[in-house]
Amino acid sequence: MPRKTRILCALFLAFVLAPALLPETAAQVTMPRLNFQERKLDNGLRILSAADHSSPTVAIQVWYHVGSKDDPTGRSGFAHLFEHIMFKSTRNMPSEMIDRLTEDVGGFNNAFTADDVTVYFEVVPSNYLETLLWAEADRLSGLNIDDQNFKSERDVVKEEFRQRILAPPYGRLFYLIEQKSFTRHPYQRPGIGSIEDLDAASLEDVREFHATFYRPDNVTLVVVGDFGQKQLDAWVDKYFGPISKPTRPLPRVTVKEPSRSAEKRFVEYGQNVPLPAVAMTYLTPAKSDPDADALKVAEAILSSGDSSRLYNSLVYEQQIAQEAFGQSDLREDLGLFILGAILASDKKPEEAERALLAEIKKMQDAPVTAAELEKAKNQIITNQVRERETSNGKALALGEAAVLLGDPNRVNTDLARLQAVTAADVQRVMKKYFMDANRLVLHYLPESARTEKPPAEKTGTHQIQSGQHITTGGRAQ
Amino acid sequence: MRSLNSISVLLLMFLGSMTVAAQTAQPKATPPPPAPPRSVEFPKPVESTLANGLRVIVVERPNSPLVAAQIVIRNGGEVDPDGLSGLADLTAGLLTKGTEKRSAPDIAEAIEALGGSLDSGAGWDSSRASVNVLSSKVAPAMEILADIVRRPTFHEEELERLRQQYRDNITLEMGNPGSIARYVAARVVFGDAPYGHPLSGTSESIAKITRGDIVKLHAAYYRPDNAILVFGGDIKAKDAFSLAERFFGDWKKPATPLPAAASGSAKAETTKEARVVVVDKPDAGQAAVVVARTGINRRHPDYYSGIVANSVLSGYSGRLNQEIRIKRGLSYGAGSTLETRRDIGPFAASAQTKNESGAEVAALLIGEVGRLATAPLPDAELVPRKAVLMGGFSRNLETVTGIVAQVAALALHDLSLDEINRYIASVQAVTEDDVRKFASSRLGAGGTNIIIVGNAKAFLPELSKHYKEIEVIPLGELDLNSGQLRRAPTSATQ
Repeated sequence: MPRKTRILCALFLAFVLAPALLPETAAQVTMPRLNFQERKLDNGLRILSAADHSSPTVAIQVWYHVGSKDDPTGRSGFAHLFEHIMFKSTRNMPSEMIDRLTEDVGGFNNAFTADDVTVYFEVVPSNYLETLLWAEADRLSGLNIDDQNFKSERDVVKEEFRQRILAPPYGRLFYLIEQKSFTRHPYQRPGIGSIEDLDAASLEDVREFHATFYRPDNVTLVVVGDFGQKQLDAWVDKYFGPISKPTRPLPRVTVKEPSRSAEKRFVEYGQNVPLPAVAMTYLTPAKSDPDADALKVAEAILSSGDSSRLYNSLVYEQQIAQEAFGQSDLREDLGLFILGAILASDKKPEEAERALLAEIKKMQDAPVTAAELEKAKNQIITNQVRERETSNGKALALGEAAVLLGDPNRVNTDLARLQAVTAADVQRVMKKYFMDANRLVLHYLPESARTEKPPAEKTGTHQIQSGQHITTGGRAQ
Repeated sequence: MRSLNSISVLLLMFLGSMTVAAQTAQPKATPPPPAPPRSVEFPKPVESTLANGLRVIVVERPNSPLVAAQIVIRNGGEVDPDGLSGLADLTAGLLTKGTEKRSAPDIAEAIEALGGSLDSGAGWDSSRASVNVLSSKVAPAMEILADIVRRPTFHEEELERLRQQYRDNITLEMGNPGSIARYVAARVVFGDAPYGHPLSGTSESIAKITRGDIVKLHAAYYRPDNAILVFGGDIKAKDAFSLAERFFGDWKKPATPLPAAASGSAKAETTKEARVVVVDKPDAGQAAVVVARTGINRRHPDYYSGIVANSVLSGYSGRLNQEIRIKRGLSYGAGSTLETRRDIGPFAASAQTKNESGAEVAALLIGEVGRLATAPLPDAELVPRKAVLMGGFSRNLETVTGIVAQVAALALHDLSLDEINRYIASVQAVTEDDVRKFASSRLGAGGTNIIIVGNAKAFLPELSKHYKEIEVIPLGELDLNSGQLRRAPTSATQ
């Protein structure tokens, strides 16, 4: 049953990529080294591979360095809609053929779209590796979608919007956090999009997006599992080698989010809000910043488990919240540290806000204890060992290190960086980023709490245009 | 103790042949064919029973430096007394909230300092507490696991705290059309039988539970001769057995006999007029549609026919998704579950859709379940759907938590642990006839209930064209405490 108080957290964390980490150092706990090979084709495609023959399966992942931040103007949600379209007909495959090649032979496939990347992955019996390399090369080289398939898949994405944002309590809260937290950077736009923008998308947009971003020099192919290296190299050369690299440059988001100069506050109301919620965000640096490790340790101390500071204070002792959360959500261009609470019955948002601020102040005023520091590192490392139990998990770690951290070796070197974090480092980043002027506060309340009449605009699904950045997966279940 | 040498059982996995059916577009090239399949061997569980009756099972799988261990009590929510639904779950939830030597924060601190996780909760037919840690930390983690299972104190203060969390969680669940539909479906299928009540209770039952009820349930069921301890992962069997002896060896078996078994679904078998129930939630962002009925128990001889039948319907390329998602774009995902328990469990097919499509999706779900008994099931469809099951089973065994869960389920239902190595062959053996026979005898559309939770005015007119008797219950009048589902008007307080 402890699961039930974590619903929101689980929902939220489930969409966050596994952070990459490490080999063995002098620390108390260690993790096995992940040995891999790296190659690059003449057309710019990068391949990372790690053989592991413990099970006769292989995980194949194709990381495209394009995400929701690259949605065309007026087309929020497009990168994610496009991800769905990649399962429709391609140069040589009819719609859903990827399912025939994976699900039908005992494997599975899926995909997700995040702010900075779109990742397609499958796990199949290893004797199907060549088949899947052919299929992935085929959908990289060209799509062949018709209007009917395009429209029915767009309807599926609209149902995904309703299922993630409209139906569950707090679905819209995370949507709002994203939208309010950024003022200029496209991270402010909803990864899932809006009904209007989805309706505006056309087949022409699909062709243009594929031509712009789906090119070999924007791809990292990751293969982990039961294969022979020479054979893999030969198949990759055969199927991916002939795909040409366009001459036009790859567009990249260069917008800079301005730093915040004063606290911002918002009150939002929702139809389906069983208990009020409070959230606050602070702008933090990019994922590759040296402060990322100390922020990760701060995150664990604040919010990892029932012995964390937020749980102890807000949920256990004061019983202000039925759930408290804290997350260092680092992205390629800049990050957010998100803290918040779903209130316990009969508690006021102001009480939760005060309690959250008090916990931040404690982290700023005094160093964390040696025991807390060690616990946080043990938790982070154990989680990463768990994430790497499967070939698919290992491939995720490799892809993230290569594409989002810029160096695949970080899968093995990040452990040392984590172990090097001191209590003073944690205190320093708490003081550096958790300033009053860098804070945004959002109170999320039920409609019944409105003191004045709601605005005259009609309510309903079509009114919701605000966004959320959460990674959205291609397939339910 | 049985042999520690694992006997390799070689099996051919993934025999599914590629079925690239002719579809709309004309492929210009065909994919390279698969290489010959590789064989696979699953680890072999070994076991031993301690003098006090505790059954201990170990599955060695040293691929990753992790160990998962779970203690399974052979009773759960099905033993909740009338009016006290949620008692078994609350009892299991309180295990981690205080022992004779540790407070709740002490327990959290102890396990988390190891980097490990500790969870407890009740399901149907079982209650569980489990740890997952690096293998270098397994001994201290087992000490904590034994402490919480054997010596919980159930402090009043902790009970109140958890009671409030359960209440808040119920409030949260009642805001979500999908969860409401699942709760209502259980009541519709099982009526007032134990499997009908919400496992985590209702706001009324949670308010009534006392510390005395909890202590009594723990004393009656948490005993070594009613428990199974399963280890999986990077640990030698002899080391696991010795940890079991060290931390559970002096757990005393009470002199009193175990309480008589209760049947989770007994009363449900006799009541059966299919119902159409609509719960009206005008602010719902989507409608949740469930069609549900009784299925089979875990030990039923048609178990494998049943899970293959379910796989034909469910999964990304199952018939439900083909019809509802892929052809019509009506949902982000449709699926079905055949939940097998000690007694007859539920079968349910479900999808969420925009409110306006609620009736259409209900008709599609009912139609596909019915078609399973009549429509042809060619090998081109059957073979891939079996491959889905076999692949999923094999992947489950790739993590230590997955291995422990699979083995614990076999042990709980007194099935041979060798079934792990017979699963693939058993699925392979299911034929088209088996599936059709299962569908007509166990899933016949006659007994299938329909539950829709959403903004009723958007789908009720269409639904009324097909069904004469529809029970429409405003959310405020919904009562999950009985199979009636409706509060008496006078006591409609919410």
